[in-house]
Amino acid sequence: MEFVSSNLQRRLRGAPFYAMLVAATVITLIPIIWVFASALKSNKEIRENALALPQEWRFQNYIDAWFGASFDQYFFNSIFITVTSVAIVLFLSSLAAYAFAKMRFRGNQLIFFVFLIGMAFPLSAKLGPLLSLMYELNLANSRIGLILVYVAGSLPFAILMLRAFFQGFPQELEDSAALDGCSRFQFYLRILLPLSKPSLMALGIFVFMGTWNEFFQALLLINEDSKRTLPLGLNAFQDEYFTDFALSFAGINITAVPVIIVYIMFQRNLIEGITVGSVK
Amino acid sequence: MAHSLSGPGKRAPGPRFRLDLMPYLFILPAVVIYVVFNLGPVLASFVFSFFKWDLLTPTAEFAGFKHYNFIINDERFWGALSHNFIFLGLAVVIPVAIGLLLAVFIYEIRRGRVFFRAALFLPAIFSGVVIAYVWKWIYHPFAGVLNPALELVGLGAFTQSWLGDHKIALYSTFIAYTWASFGYSMVIFLAGLQDIPTDIFDAARVDGANFRQKLFRVTIPCLYDVFTFVITLRIFTAMGVFGVIYILTGGGPFYSSDVIDIYVFRMIGNFEMGWATAAATFNTIIVVCLSTGFIKWREWRSWSS
Repeated sequence: MEFVSSNLQRRLRGAPFYAMLVAATVITLIPIIWVFASALKSNKEIRENALALPQEWRFQNYIDAWFGASFDQYFFNSIFITVTSVAIVLFLSSLAAYAFAKMRFRGNQLIFFVFLIGMAFPLSAKLGPLLSLMYELNLANSRIGLILVYVAGSLPFAILMLRAFFQGFPQELEDSAALDGCSRFQFYLRILLPLSKPSLMALGIFVFMGTWNEFFQALLLINEDSKRTLPLGLNAFQDEYFTDFALSFAGINITAVPVIIVYIMFQRNLIEGITVGSVK
Repeated sequence: MAHSLSGPGKRAPGPRFRLDLMPYLFILPAVVIYVVFNLGPVLASFVFSFFKWDLLTPTAEFAGFKHYNFIINDERFWGALSHNFIFLGLAVVIPVAIGLLLAVFIYEIRRGRVFFRAALFLPAIFSGVVIAYVWKWIYHPFAGVLNPALELVGLGAFTQSWLGDHKIALYSTFIAYTWASFGYSMVIFLAGLQDIPTDIFDAARVDGANFRQKLFRVTIPCLYDVFTFVITLRIFTAMGVFGVIYILTGGGPFYSSDVIDIYVFRMIGNFEMGWATAAATFNTIIVVCLSTGFIKWREWRSWSS
C-alpha cells in the first residue's frame, strides 16, 4: 500500500512539469502546423480566415509550387553540395585529427591552435576577400566553389571534435597494430575509422544540417538560378510568388519536409553532435 | 611545405634522426583548404581594409585609415552595431532562460524525455530562410495568423504591423530568432544536467528544497561551465545574425532592424569593398574581444570563488 501511494506521489510531482512541457510543445509547434495547414487551403480561404483549417485538402498547391520554380534542380544542387561537403569534411578532418591526437611533430599544438581560431571569427569577417578570391579562381557561381567554402568552414569544429575523440584511444591499440606490420595509414583506415563510426555519424549529421541550411555565403557566391541550393531557391520563389499565399506556404513545406525526415531518422546523432563539444 | 620543414631537420641532434613527414601529409589537405578558403580571406579582410580597392580587386595603393574613418562617421554603421548589441542583450537572456527551464522540466520527468526534447528542438533544425518565411507569414498583414489570433483571445489592442513599424521590427525578428534558437540551449543544458551526479539532487530533496531553491542553489551553480558555453554560442549567433533579419525586414524599415552582417553584405553588393572589409574587421575585433573576454571572466570568477 505504501509503495502504491509513493508511486502515485511521484507521478503527481511530475504533473506540473508535464503540463508545462505540453504547453511549450504546443506553442513551439503551432507555427509549423499552421504553415502545413495553410498550404492545403485556397488563396480565398487564407484571405478570409487565416486561422481556419482547410475546407478541403488542396494538394494541387504542392504540384503548382513544384513546377512554379526549379525545385528539382534546387534539390539536386543541395544534395550534391551537401553530400560532397560532408564526405570531404569527414575524410580530411579525421586524417588531420588523427595526426593532431596521436602523432608527435613540430608545430602540432600551433597548427591545431590556428584551426581553432577559425571558430572565433564571425562569418562576415571573410566575405569580401572570399568573393574576390572566388572570382579570381573562377569558382564564383560554381557548386564546386561553394563546396570548398563549406568544407573550409566546417573543418575547425570537425577537427576539434574528432581530435578529442581520438585522444581517448589507447596507445596499445596502435602499438600492437604497428607490431603486426600495419602502417599508420592502414591503422587509420582499417582500425581507427571503423571504431569511430558513432562519432563520425554524429559529426556527419551535424555538418550535413549546417551545410544543407546555409544561406549567407550561398547568397553571396551563387547568382544563377540553375545553381541555387534549396534555401536560395526558396528565397527566390517567395520573392516571385509572394502574392500567391497558398503556393508560398507549399514552397516552405517542400523545403522543410526533407529536413524533418532526416531529423526524425537521425535526431539522436544530431543532438549528440551538438552537445559533445559543449559538455566535455 | 617541405621547404618550411628544413629548419627542424637541420637542428636535429642525433645521427639517427629522420624527419617524419607522415604527420604533415595527414594534415596537409585540411590545412590547404582551411587556409585558402577560410583563414586567408579573414586575414586578407584585415590587410586590405587599409588599401584601396578597384571594384572586387584590392590594389597596392595604401589608404590608411580612410575606410575606418568612413565607417566610424557613418551613422548607419553605428545603428547596425547597436542593433546587434540589443539583439545580444536579449539573446543571452531569453533563449537561454527558456532553454534552461525546459531542460530542467525534461530532466524532472520520467517518461517521454526523448519525445519532448525532439519536439521542442524541431524549429532549430531549419534553415534561417525557412524560419524567416514561417514568421513572415505569421506576421503578414493580410494572410498572417498573429493579428487574428490576438483578436480571438481578446488581445485585439496588441494587433499591429509587426514588421512595418520601425519601433518594433527588430524585436519581431528577435522572436523568430528565439523560436529557432532556444532548442540549442535546451539540449546543451540537458546534456549538462545528465552529467551532474544525481545524489546532489537527492540530497537537496532530502533537505526539503523546493523547485526554486533547487534551481538557483543547486542546478545553476552546477551548470557553471555549461552556461559559459551556451552564452558564448549566443554571442556568436547574435553578433552574426543575418538570414532571419535579411529576409524578414531586409534591415528596414528605415534601417531600424539593420545589423552588421547586412551592412557588410550591402557594402559588398555596392562594390564598396574598402568599407565592407573595414566594417567586417571592426566587427571581428568586437566579437573576438567579447567572446574571449567573457570566457576569461568566467574562468577568473570560477577560480576566485
